[in-house]
Amino acid sequence: MFISIEADKCMGHGRCYAVAPDLLSDDDEGFVAERGRCWSIPDALIGQAEDAADACPEGAIAVLATATPTDA
Amino acid sequence: MTETTHRGCPVAHTDFTGTTPIYEHYRMLDQDREEARFLFNDTTERGFFMLQRYDDVREGFQQHENWTTAVRSALRPDVSGEPLLPQDLNGAEHVKLRRILNQFFAPAAVRRMEPMAQQRCIELIEEIQGVGSCDFVAEFAIRYPTDMFLALLGLPVSDGEQFLEWSDDYFSALLAGDPARAAAAKSSIMSYFDDAVNERRANPRDPKEDMVTRLVEARIDDVPLTQDEILTICLTLMLAGLDTTRSALGYIYAHLANNPADRQALIDDPALIPKAVEEFLRLYPLVFQAGREVQEPQRFEDLKLDTGDVVWLGVAQANRDPRKFENPDQFDLHRPNANQHLAFGGGPHRCLGMHLARLELKVVLEEWHKRIPEYRVAPGTELRERGVQLSMASLPLEWEV
Repeated sequence: MFISIEADKCMGHGRCYAVAPDLLSDDDEGFVAERGRCWSIPDALIGQAEDAADACPEGAIAVLATATPTDA
Repeated sequence: MTETTHRGCPVAHTDFTGTTPIYEHYRMLDQDREEARFLFNDTTERGFFMLQRYDDVREGFQQHENWTTAVRSALRPDVSGEPLLPQDLNGAEHVKLRRILNQFFAPAAVRRMEPMAQQRCIELIEEIQGVGSCDFVAEFAIRYPTDMFLALLGLPVSDGEQFLEWSDDYFSALLAGDPARAAAAKSSIMSYFDDAVNERRANPRDPKEDMVTRLVEARIDDVPLTQDEILTICLTLMLAGLDTTRSALGYIYAHLANNPADRQALIDDPALIPKAVEEFLRLYPLVFQAGREVQEPQRFEDLKLDTGDVVWLGVAQANRDPRKFENPDQFDLHRPNANQHLAFGGGPHRCLGMHLARLELKVVLEEWHKRIPEYRVAPGTELRERGVQLSMASLPLEWEV
């Protein structure tokens, strides 16, 4: 599975890294540090990825079965 | 004959500006949302097109290029003559100023304030704990965010009492739409800020830690902020952070006083408090609407919008939309999508102070319940709420000592 975070939609609500601390982190301005990226996630973190997607008030996060990673 | 449609949109006449029994505004807001997807409300001079469902409200916040903060409140579009920063900026200019401020309001910065937030909270609780009763709004809920605001600006919390008087006067005049009274109250506040900013110009601190020093030293496109801009930022932070936190605490404590099982759940497992804070924010948003002004004619779904139209983004209606949140009028500590509430707005103008607000609410719930776990609303009290932006004037609580 992949997680994708749209940089343009991210407004720094900080909900995603609060519910997915093993997957996501915050930068100095409070935005998720991984915004603008799409990457493959280990099975053990799929639950946190889904929680992050369900927590974003902007709808900026998606969990995808297939995707092209940004840093592949 | 009264118009029944306005440019094809059904017309509503609901007045959201009066003082009513508590929770009455949520009932009116829910009723309007279920009457039609979009309404045109004609109770103000300019009127406003209401977006009420969760998906529409969220999209409305994200339409920031054409729907700007030239109007910030659909109910008080002309109070927008009162300058606020960064709100009044839009687009790239807004982003530049937010980037200067964000670092002081990010979760990492807010965490550094936690020990001080706890200490001040405990002091205020201990002042009233032995009395066995208080007006929670006046004696606690407004004092705490006022002291935290002063601390954020690096000002002495001992100024809190005087400051509170000015800020209360100013805010109530603004909500009442009384510019003369607002101007008088504002001048005392601005002169206080002016002294504080000048002191920091003379004695700068570390701009990474001290917000006023950072504002004094900041450059946007190589140009420093003017003194007026810095004072306006201070005033805006005050307006945004004091009444809202007081009001949020009022609704939270009215709920917990009247719902002992929810209170007990937080006492039994304080680790649930951050979740409770989100669910309270969803269930009881105080800023129940945001306004925007349309810059270019636009079709939004069925709405035909013209330049200068006022759009209402129904924050509370979105947070209580059954299409998004199951059993929306229930307090549910385990609601899976509670975090998606729009109590702090969305899009680029989302509330700058949201993480500080979360910290303040969390600390109060933790420290209060360690000291005063059992309390009730004083018998015979009829709780009432102010419209425009919800708040209770009074919440008398009692407990055994």
